[in-house]
Amino acid sequence: MTWDITGMAAVANIGATPGEIFAALCAGQESRTPLRAFDPDKYRAAYAYEIDDRPEGGGDIPQRATRWLTTVIRQAAGDAGLGEDLAQVPVLVGTTMREQRSLELWWRHDAEVALEDLHFGTALKAAFGASTTYTLANACSATLYALGMATDMIELGMADTVVVAGTDAATESGFGTLDRVQNDIPDALRPFDTTHKGMLMGEGAAAVVVQRAGTGNGPVHARVRGVSMNCDAHHATAPDADGITRAVLDAYRRAGVRARDIDLVMLHGSGTPRNDATESSVLRRIFQSAGPGPRMTAIKAMTGHTLGGSGLLSLVMAVLAMKEGTVPPVLGLADPIPEAAGLGLVQGSPASDDLAIAQIDAFGFGGINAVAIVEGAR
Amino acid sequence: MNATSTAHPRNPSAREVVVTGIGLALPGVATYRDLLGPLPAEGGFDPATGLIGRELRHKDRASRLALRAAEFALHDAGLTDADTTFTGAAEATAVVVSTNLGNADSVCEATDTIAAAGVMGLSPLGLPQTSSNVIAGWVAIRYRLRGPNLTVCNGVTSGLDALAWARNLIVTGRADAAVVVGVEPANDVVTKVLGRQSTDAAVAVVLEPADAAASRGARPRATITGYARARNLAAALASTGVTEEGPVGLWLADEAEAAGAGAGHLLAATRRIDLESQLGPLSGALGVLQCAAAAAHLESGATGNVLATAGGPHHDATAALLLTPSPATRPSTQERGQHP
Repeated sequence: MTWDITGMAAVANIGATPGEIFAALCAGQESRTPLRAFDPDKYRAAYAYEIDDRPEGGGDIPQRATRWLTTVIRQAAGDAGLGEDLAQVPVLVGTTMREQRSLELWWRHDAEVALEDLHFGTALKAAFGASTTYTLANACSATLYALGMATDMIELGMADTVVVAGTDAATESGFGTLDRVQNDIPDALRPFDTTHKGMLMGEGAAAVVVQRAGTGNGPVHARVRGVSMNCDAHHATAPDADGITRAVLDAYRRAGVRARDIDLVMLHGSGTPRNDATESSVLRRIFQSAGPGPRMTAIKAMTGHTLGGSGLLSLVMAVLAMKEGTVPPVLGLADPIPEAAGLGLVQGSPASDDLAIAQIDAFGFGGINAVAIVEGAR
Repeated sequence: MNATSTAHPRNPSAREVVVTGIGLALPGVATYRDLLGPLPAEGGFDPATGLIGRELRHKDRASRLALRAAEFALHDAGLTDADTTFTGAAEATAVVVSTNLGNADSVCEATDTIAAAGVMGLSPLGLPQTSSNVIAGWVAIRYRLRGPNLTVCNGVTSGLDALAWARNLIVTGRADAAVVVGVEPANDVVTKVLGRQSTDAAVAVVLEPADAAASRGARPRATITGYARARNLAAALASTGVTEEGPVGLWLADEAEAAGAGAGHLLAATRRIDLESQLGPLSGALGVLQCAAAAAHLESGATGNVLATAGGPHHDATAALLLTPSPATRPSTQERGQHP
């Protein structure tokens, strides 16, 4: 069974549409900006990958994650020809932080936030009349988990059309604790480069419309072949090679593909030494006897870590890469870590290639992994 | 799961999913059978003595409550040995957690610390609980449960939603079993968010396919038969298949929401229990606790199915979960050929 992707939308620091974001990734200009969301005097990390839509004159406002979410869902639904009435369409939202930034602003600055605004169903009801809505707080693999759960709903006959989306705004608690635990504070997110020091947060949202094969009204952008989901059950925050390997191999089994069939890997690539070494080592083993091996890229070098939505943003970029036959480079990758030797990481400038099948990795706190296999529509 | 189609398994190939273990970490409720009587009762979980221990160190309160409830549920299901090691198929066991405010205290306290002392005032041990999925992570790590690991933060319907998603994971074959935990902690942040005194509440249930439960000799307490999350109660009940499955003997509902939905006539003769009016705000724990109460009703020999509802006119949706007697307790006259 495959599932059609018939609508796509995304917003990030480097663009307000999938096309803008993809073009920026290919252009490869430095995109980090000085930390604006919070009082920089309180933090060691000086940079982030924020969306620049806060009011003039400083200060943060609640509900930004919700606003991006409703924007990308409206655009993805429009792209698929669904219109703005989603009363009969389940909406699955993957997120790391939910509206915890609003909770922080309420706690510290008495911002107006209701308990009902912490999950996104309230806004989705108001914007689209949607009721079969789910806020799935599955850390940084949340949107690929949600994609897998959407394909399950279609397979089980519960729906023919499901909207999958993700959104996250940077939180002080998350940004601050991450700053606290990084020994060497990164001034940029540099996945797989020997200079990588760690992760810096980004902000963004992404949405796709997934439909039972052949039931949509519009053109098919790509087809989901299979999505795996599992848990390392090993460490609260560190990745685990065994868990990631199982997730990759289970995705191949579900998709009916072998390692040699993969043309493109959208890496999780969070820029932490632990992630990059673990992910590279796993992929080296998986692709070691798979011919020349796939092209690989890591978009967090330019978007920052957009948390819950990052997996789906990678997936949307994979679809554009397959359409264009172009793989954006990993910004700042000059000297790959030894564990990545032999992997087809795209460096310097975009690579042109014929790309039919992409693998998208997303790994999150709690050791939760999800891997999606997507085929370009031809 | 939407208004036009449902999780209700009329498909003969669908696996029937049953509840095989229940555990509570809930002050004022000693066992799930007490949920049918007046509450709070004597005894029950004491957080002062129950939330300490080596394996609970350096963890947030919601995770500690959840670990206790999961421990009791897995023991009740016969899935742990004398050393509390998990004896089931760990690589194919899912963890599904429902919580809305589980890490709200960690999030807000971190902002206080940063304001007062900058990031270096934070404890590095606090990193996991900045993410809302911390609870599910700790439960998985404790028992090495390597199946899908899901955290549902979906408002008042979360617990019922979590049960439905756990059932989906089993029906699709992604998991052979699931531990479903509903948990909310008591603390100042949650009390301020709710505008009323918060309560510690954790409840866990183990779900398995009926055939697998039977083959290992587990005692099934209830079958999860239907579910919907829809725009209102009437739509949710229609999609849940509540009328097709026979009379409802117990309706677990918020009385005020049910009355507001104009639902008094729908199930006028049914016994009703409002858990939150007796125990205080349960939020993400509510639906899983309703499932435990349903099992108590179905095991007691009382007649009729159990309907659990949450949400309503004051929320973004209404969810309904229908629980029916399990194969072991089902009167033979209720056996239906389409069930595997």
